[in-house]
Amino acid sequence: MAEVTTETFRCMMCGHEYQEKVEKGEDKERSCPKCRSNSIWHLKKKRPAKE
Amino acid sequence: MKIRKKARYVDPGLCNACEECAKVCPVVKPDEFQMGLSSRKAIYIPFPQAVPCSYILNMDDCLGNNPIACGKCADVCEKKAIDYDDQDEIIEREVGAIIVAIGMDVYDPTEMDEYGYTRFENVITSMEFERLICAGGPTAGHFVRPSDHERPKRIGFIQCVGSRNPKIGRPYCSNICCMNTVKDTLLLADHYPDTDNYVFYQDIRAFGKSFEDMFQRSKEAGTKFIRGLPGDIEEDPETRKLTITVENTTSGRLERHELDMVVLSVGVVPPKDRDKVSGLLTLSKTSDGFFMESHPKLKPVDAPTRGVFFAGFCEAPKDIKDSVCQAGATASRAGALLNAGEISVEAITSRIDEEACTQCGLCAAVCPYGAIIWRKGEPAVVVEAACAGCGACGATCQFGAITMRHFTDEQLIAQVRAVLAENPQDKVFVFACNWCSYAGGDMAGISRMQYPTTNRVIRTMCSARVSEEMVLEAFRCGAPAVLVSGCHYADCHYINANRQTVKRMQRLWNKLDKAGVRPERLQLEWISAAEGQKFAKVMRQMEEIRETVTMEEIEHTKQALKPKPKKKAPKSKEAAAAAS
Repeated sequence: MAEVTTETFRCMMCGHEYQEKVEKGEDKERSCPKCRSNSIWHLKKKRPAKE
Repeated sequence: MKIRKKARYVDPGLCNACEECAKVCPVVKPDEFQMGLSSRKAIYIPFPQAVPCSYILNMDDCLGNNPIACGKCADVCEKKAIDYDDQDEIIEREVGAIIVAIGMDVYDPTEMDEYGYTRFENVITSMEFERLICAGGPTAGHFVRPSDHERPKRIGFIQCVGSRNPKIGRPYCSNICCMNTVKDTLLLADHYPDTDNYVFYQDIRAFGKSFEDMFQRSKEAGTKFIRGLPGDIEEDPETRKLTITVENTTSGRLERHELDMVVLSVGVVPPKDRDKVSGLLTLSKTSDGFFMESHPKLKPVDAPTRGVFFAGFCEAPKDIKDSVCQAGATASRAGALLNAGEISVEAITSRIDEEACTQCGLCAAVCPYGAIIWRKGEPAVVVEAACAGCGACGATCQFGAITMRHFTDEQLIAQVRAVLAENPQDKVFVFACNWCSYAGGDMAGISRMQYPTTNRVIRTMCSARVSEEMVLEAFRCGAPAVLVSGCHYADCHYINANRQTVKRMQRLWNKLDKAGVRPERLQLEWISAAEGQKFAKVMRQMEEIRETVTMEEIEHTKQALKPKPKKKAPKSKEAAAAAS
C-alpha cells in the first residue's frame, strides 16, 4: 500500500487553504475546490529547529 | 529489445494433443478461459482454438516439479514431449518500430455490491454469459442458471456496470457493451424464442454501421428496453429468483421485475500490465488510464514516443471493426517508418555543451522521452532522434549547458526584456505553451471573447521550458503579475513534461515568499486549446491581481530578486584532473 499523508495546500488565486490526502508518488492535476484555479501551492510542514 | 519467451514444459513440435497427459493429471483447477465455470488440469490446452494446438504445463499448479512427486503426464506421453526442466528463453531483437497492442481487462463488479454479484449465484457477468451460451463452453451451449442448472425464462441485462460511473472512478463509456447486449438478446431470441429479455439502460449507443438495425431487430424480437438502472436486487432464498427495483425514467414510475437470472453488462478497464509497458516505452496515459496518442486527430495511432504505435483497446475502448482499422493504420505507419530508410528529426531539439556540462544528470532525470543518456562521470548526451523538443532539460540545467534550438535562454530572456521595456507596470506577463494555452488564447480571440488588453504572451513549446530565471527576470523587469500556463495533465504533448512546471512553480512560490514578494503575483493555470472561455476568465483574474500591485511593491521586488553573483560550476574530479 502506498504511503498516504494529509497535506496542506493554498490556492494562489483566491487564498483558500485546505487539506487533502496525498498518496506517495501520485500523479494528479490539482485545482482549488473553491475557485477551480490550478495555482495550488503545496505548503510543506516546517521542520522543527534543532536545539 | 529483449523478449522473454515463457517455458511451456511441453515441446509443441512433438506434442500431438492426444490428451493422455490431461487424463492422468491429478490436479484440478478452475478454467480461466471458461471464467471459472468449468475446470482444467495442470497440463492443458489454454483454449480450443489455441495455436499451436499443443498442451502447456502450468508449473504453479503442477505437483511434478517440487519435489518430483507425480510425473504421471511424463510417464504416459509416448512422444516424450514433456520436459520439467524447460526454462524461459530470452530473445534479443533489434527493431525499428514497436506496436503496443496489449488489450484490456474486464471490469470486476464485486465492488458494486448493490447488484449482488458476490451474493447471488444467478447474477453473472456478460463474459460468463458468453461462455454459457457458447457451443464450446462448459454447458456445450445449453443456457442454464448456475444455481439449479434449469433454463431461465426471464433474463435481465443491466448496462453500464463499471462504465459511465464517476462514483467508482470510471466516467468513460466502454463503447462495446450496448451492442454486446443487443447481440446477446438476439442470440437468446434465436436459441430460446420463449425467453423474456429485459435490458435496463441509461442510453443505448448504437452508432456503428448496421448497429441501429440490430437494435431494432432486438426490439422486434420482443426484448423490453427499460430506461433506468436498478438501485437494488433481492433474491428469494427458496426459488433463487431475483427481484429488481428500478425507476423507469421514461414513464417516471418505480417498477419491480421478477427475473430468473441477471446479466451484468460489465465495462472494460485498462490492462493491468499497462504501467510496466508505459515505463518501458515512456508512454503517457489519459485520465481514463488508457494510453494517450500523439494527437487525437492527426496522429491517432502514434505514441508520443517516436517509433511506437498503438492498436486496439489499450489506446481506448473500441469494437472489433475499429480495432482492425486501427491495426491496419498502425501497420502502415510502422511500415512507412521502416521503409523510408531515413528519419527526419525535430528542428527544435536540445544540444548539450560538453564543456559546460557538470555531469550532474538532472537533465536525464527530467527528460520524459529518455532522450538524454548520462553516465556518472561523463557529460550528458542528447539522442536527437528521440528528443521531441519540450525543453524541460534546458530549464532544469542550472549551468547553461543546454541550448534549446529556436527557444534558447537568450532568445526567451530577450523577449521578456523587450516586452517589459516600456511601462511594465501596465502589463500582465504570460508564458503560454504552444499546443494548448497559446491555442486557448487563439480560441478566445476567434470566439470574440472580451478580456483586458494588458496581457503580453510569450510562446514556448511546453510550459516546462519556462525556467525559474525567466520568471524571476520578468519580475526584475517590473512585471506586476506573471502567469505560466500549459496543457492539462492528461493532455501534455510531451508525455508528462508539465509535471516539471509544477515542481518549478512550487520552488518559485517558496523563493518569492522568502524574498518578501507576494507569491500570489505568480500564477499557474492549465488551459486547453478548447478553453477560450477559461483563457479569457484567467486574463480577467490576472488583471485584477495586476491592479493590486503598487509601484513601491514593484521597486521592492526588483531589489529583492536582484541576481546574486553566479556560482562557478563545480567540475567533476576527472575533468579537474584533466585540466591540471
